[in-house]
Amino acid sequence: MAVNRVVSNFRNIPLRPFMRKTGYNLLIFASWVPAVIFFNENIGETTKITGASMYPYLNTSYNESRKKDLCWVNKWNPGTGLERGMLVSFWSPSHPDVLAVKRIIAIEGDRVFSRAPYPAPIADIPAGHVWVEGDNRDGNKSLDSNHYGPIPISLIQGKVTHVLRPWASSGPIKWAEFRGRTKVIRGRKEDALQWA
Amino acid sequence: MTLLRSFPRISKLFKLPRSNTTPRIQPQAENPPPQYSIRNALYVLSWAARGLLFTHLFMTHAYTISATLGPSMLPTFSVMGDYALTSKYYRRGRDIKVGDIVVFSSVVNPGETVIKRVMGLEGDYVLRDTPGSLRNEMLQVPKGHCWVTGDNLPYSRDSRHFGPMPMGLIKGKVIAKVFPWKEREWLENGLVPVNEAEE
Repeated sequence: MAVNRVVSNFRNIPLRPFMRKTGYNLLIFASWVPAVIFFNENIGETTKITGASMYPYLNTSYNESRKKDLCWVNKWNPGTGLERGMLVSFWSPSHPDVLAVKRIIAIEGDRVFSRAPYPAPIADIPAGHVWVEGDNRDGNKSLDSNHYGPIPISLIQGKVTHVLRPWASSGPIKWAEFRGRTKVIRGRKEDALQWA
Repeated sequence: MTLLRSFPRISKLFKLPRSNTTPRIQPQAENPPPQYSIRNALYVLSWAARGLLFTHLFMTHAYTISATLGPSMLPTFSVMGDYALTSKYYRRGRDIKVGDIVVFSSVVNPGETVIKRVMGLEGDYVLRDTPGSLRNEMLQVPKGHCWVTGDNLPYSRDSRHFGPMPMGLIKGKVIAKVFPWKEREWLENGLVPVNEAEE
């Protein structure tokens, strides 16, 4: 009964103006898509954290539930102002289409005491590179600089600045208070190995 | 003109006669003057912004023409004055083959863009130094990386200096040289199988 009424209402609308108006509205909607993409790639976007490489800081409930943490990534000038302890998102050197999220342990000029499977016990960070590691103490769970070495700063796409979900741990990420267990000898940027 | 007519609010701004009025039997009143107001200015600005952002999206995700600079890709590209057409489909190394010319973010100077040729993909064995130098070592390109060299080996800073490069840095592939117009050409893959070259 009600279906008949809905269908008859539809059939009473003249079709061509309806399609024109719908097409016009879709065009208006589509015209905003480049703006949204620009915003997501250059200003900021939300991202879900997959994996346990940053456990227990991010994805603390990795062993209990399948809910992933939601974070805000600031994409404005991601290569400038990088400090030790910051969380950054970058194209993974091993999988170029995957955005990895890790913590900066050392910047150019520093000396890092690396872990397995890095081929040398000490790594000097050259100019334009940073050393990133996941917070997870279990070495197998984190594919980071201990596997692929220092990463070029140009790979970094954004800085993870806030945690949005879960609500209990939401808020700005206090990277300055990070105390890592990786031994780093701080150096000066001017002393970093330059390229020929 | 007809395109502008399909945006009724813009038609009001530019004093265009409305297209679906009744036929002219008697003289009609003059069209109302264009409404200059903040609201209409913002409307025009929002369309201008959408157009600019669409152009930006096209240049970062589709094709772009940009100037080249430097002697490292002689004789393919001159020191200056050449313009290259880059296809951004090949971002981050998608479908890149050995011999392709790629555009990537610099490893050495973050923020700069570099053009070089891919000489090895992941798993390939490449010569570490210039052919003819004292060291004869070869190394295997790790997963997710590529080996790039310039065409002008003596004046090129490339993977022989900074090592294998993560493919995540690749922004696109150079598919043609467009300017100077007399030297325009589609840049095919530079590698030719040895048997064909000997004939």
